Amino acid sequence: MAQVVLRKVTKSFGALQVIKGVDLDIAHREFVVFVGPSGCGKSTLLRMVAGLEDITSGELFIDGARVNAALPSQRGIAMVFQSYALYPHMSVYQNMAFGLKLARSDRATIEERVRKAARILQIEELLERKPRQLSGGQRQRVAIGRAITRNPKVFLFDEPLSNLDAALRVQTRLEIARLKDELDATMIYVTHDQVEAMTLADRIVVLNAGRVEQVGSPLELYQRPRNLFVAGFLGSPKMNFIRSVAETVRPGQLTVRLPGGAHLTLPVRDGAPGIRSGTQLTVGVRPEDVVPPERGDAVVSGGVLVVEQLGSESYLYLRTEGDQTVVARRDPGLEAKVDQPVKVGVRAAACHLFGADGLAIERADPPPA
Amino acid sequence: MGARRAIGRILFYLLVALIIVYTVFPFYWAIVSSLKEGSALYRVDLFPPHPAWGNYVGIFQQQNFARNILNSVIVAGAVVAVSLLLSVTASYALGRVEFRGRTALLLTILAVSMFPQVAVLSGMFELVSWLGIYDTIWSLILSYLILTLPFTTWVLTTFMRDLPKELEEAALVDGARPWTIITRVFLPLLWPALATTGLLAFITAWNEFMFAITFTLSNEKRTVPVAIALISGASHFELPWGRVMAASVIVTIPLVVLVLVFQRRIVSGLTAGAVKG
Amino acid sequence: MEAVRQRSEAESPAAAPAELTELTRQRRRSARIFVLPMLAVLAVVAGWPLLRTIFFSFTDANLGSLEGYKLIGLDNFQALAADGDWWNAVFNTVRFAITSVIIETVLGMIIALTLNAHIPGRGMLRAAVLIPWAIPTVVSAQMWNWMYNDLYGVLNHIFLGLGLIHQPLAWTANPHLALTAVVLVDVWKTTPFMTLLILAALQLVPLEIYEAARIDGISPLKVFWRVTLPLIRPALMVAIIFRTLDALRIFDLPFILTGNSKATASMAVYARQQLIDFQDVGYGSAASTFLFLVVAVFTVIYITAGRVRFGTGDR
Repeated sequence: MAQVVLRKVTKSFGALQVIKGVDLDIAHREFVVFVGPSGCGKSTLLRMVAGLEDITSGELFIDGARVNAALPSQRGIAMVFQSYALYPHMSVYQNMAFGLKLARSDRATIEERVRKAARILQIEELLERKPRQLSGGQRQRVAIGRAITRNPKVFLFDEPLSNLDAALRVQTRLEIARLKDELDATMIYVTHDQVEAMTLADRIVVLNAGRVEQVGSPLELYQRPRNLFVAGFLGSPKMNFIRSVAETVRPGQLTVRLPGGAHLTLPVRDGAPGIRSGTQLTVGVRPEDVVPPERGDAVVSGGVLVVEQLGSESYLYLRTEGDQTVVARRDPGLEAKVDQPVKVGVRAAACHLFGADGLAIERADPPPA
Repeated sequence: MGARRAIGRILFYLLVALIIVYTVFPFYWAIVSSLKEGSALYRVDLFPPHPAWGNYVGIFQQQNFARNILNSVIVAGAVVAVSLLLSVTASYALGRVEFRGRTALLLTILAVSMFPQVAVLSGMFELVSWLGIYDTIWSLILSYLILTLPFTTWVLTTFMRDLPKELEEAALVDGARPWTIITRVFLPLLWPALATTGLLAFITAWNEFMFAITFTLSNEKRTVPVAIALISGASHFELPWGRVMAASVIVTIPLVVLVLVFQRRIVSGLTAGAVKG
Repeated sequence: MEAVRQRSEAESPAAAPAELTELTRQRRRSARIFVLPMLAVLAVVAGWPLLRTIFFSFTDANLGSLEGYKLIGLDNFQALAADGDWWNAVFNTVRFAITSVIIETVLGMIIALTLNAHIPGRGMLRAAVLIPWAIPTVVSAQMWNWMYNDLYGVLNHIFLGLGLIHQPLAWTANPHLALTAVVLVDVWKTTPFMTLLILAALQLVPLEIYEAARIDGISPLKVFWRVTLPLIRPALMVAIIFRTLDALRIFDLPFILTGNSKATASMAVYARQQLIDFQDVGYGSAASTFLFLVVAVFTVIYITAGRVRFGTGDR
């Protein structure tokens, strides 16, 4: 039963602290994705799990054993690198067999494991070729195959799709999703692409500047972001953040005043601390949740700045009172041309509320199905 | 405008021709002179009227030149082999592992390559005598290391540094120890670099003169540079210039061929060693 | 499902020493073992002899019997300071170094610029330029020695024929000409090296800069002075410094062309003469040590000035 546990893990390079205390529990056969902007420390965290970076303080457990000081090859892990890192002078077969050869496995075991991995990844015809004779996608599969032959407890992926072109990326993503079911192992996957995160993960760990912002299933993070960062990171185009002011605070209920004067009432958990009439808040609403005015609980008006046509859908960029920008996904009830005044509606059920500190104010009702 | 460009072009090509003549003529003249025997040397003909091989025969028969060449080959070969062996592992450490004192070590190696040879001469002389290897090729194999070792270490360190990090990390995850990484992952990739570095070090060792003339006495122990220098030693009236040129040509032609064949590699090897650091 | 904990700790400054993975420790251990053989050999062939030489300069040791020496303090150095021939050698070496390096740099620059221009026959020019470099120094010296021969040398023949001189010149015997003769051979031999280094630097300059200058109508000469030269200056300085250090140490060329002649003796030639020919190990070592110090001072200046290039390296 492979479990990966991080306790209060930090990492510093000299005086610069890049990982500021991470606690994480990853269960056996879970597919966890570390996601975040460049420089947030997700790769560093992965490399610490692999053993390629020292852990400054904190503890790392793999399968119950404390592995802070262990060599990478002693941790039961295998890694797929962004640049594949195949040995250029060895054939595909030799690449995949190298780890087992070093561990002095007998030829029969090596043969069996390599062929099995090759079958899973459909690269059996490529076994005698050298890496330079392969395409990018094939090299990627060999890299994954090399990891599979090691029979690890934990697979580590370091942005494996970044070097592929868009079409290949989608295809390989599907293959990785398929692998998820076939292999009996835990997987930790690092990416900066939130689409990859959303589609592959059982749980997503959102990192920002060395800190964990939120951990949860993709849907959980999408529907119930705990702070502004997570809310703005997942989903494209970004969630709208509308600066508003709290008007009435009652137990279990909060009314805010939107730009333009409309009022929005949201059910909130008791004990929303420090919120009084006049407090600055942020209302978050995703572009696809901005609806024609007659379907909304509150109406916001503005002038159309830009209309972006993407073919499958279009987006309206509105400038509202108070000089804020709201993005709305156009739907049949929401037609407008540039410089035209338009009204849009927001539904209370789809809105998020954030305090001045950026943290979400918890809603009292369950998220929509 | 067109005339000016044309004149400019002609002058340019003239300059190029001049440079080529300047660089190649001495070599050409040496070849020509080597084919002149006896009194033909005293006439300055651009082309030998009666090309003869007497000089070439002479140096092998009377001067034991073949032995000199053999000595040079053995010494240079041995020194390069030892230098590369010691440098390969050292360059891995210096190029890829961060440890305390690394910068100081690199600077030390650079400093050693700046030593004037004469500054170690008396000390080396004492060492050679003490080891009892005076007038043997061992004295040269030992002393030449001060010339080749810093060079091979420095250049190989630059090459090691440039190898991709992820390749090493993949090997680490596969369970390779540092020695395995060097021998089974990096070395196969470094063959061209080793060859180039070895070639440049070989040329350096082959050319060495001061230690060779100081530490060897008898003709059978001499290397090529010493032999060529001493063919002219005596103050007779008839200087054996023909023979000197013949020996020079024999020694130079393989080197010139080698250098011309490996032009590009040599150029990049030289610049890697110097410009980068 | 399993419990989800994601507390983030408050920031703590990185004061505690990191617990190193076995990997880091293993690598550092191996690194030390890997450099040891090379270092040991270097200590034996470079460190020890150097220290011994410096030691000898404080003694009156003799080459015939190295064991029987006395310490005589700074006597050798005092004698050196008063030795006219020594200072003559120093002067020769400096004059040689300055002249040689200047000519090599200018000539090297011209050839490099020529090679950099995409002309047909570039490969032939580069091959031709490499030939002097490939030829062993001793051989070069002898080839030029023969060309310099006052009676039968081809140089005199050509100059006489061109009417540039009226009497055959004794290039290597004449004390006024000898140093020039040596410089000419050194230039011939080493310009290729300078050319290659300068060429490498020139090739790093992006072509767009030249194209932009051409569109702006700037004359090629101005482009060279204001654009090319500043861009290749760092590499040029490295090359010049390397060559100067090399030139100060020169031995082979003057020795073979002119022997121990006072007109051309370099510091190294002089030191070796004292050491081997006169068997005065103490005095010769003192001269050697002096030369070493001169080169060392230059090297230290160069290394500290160029320290930025090495980066930090250690943590």
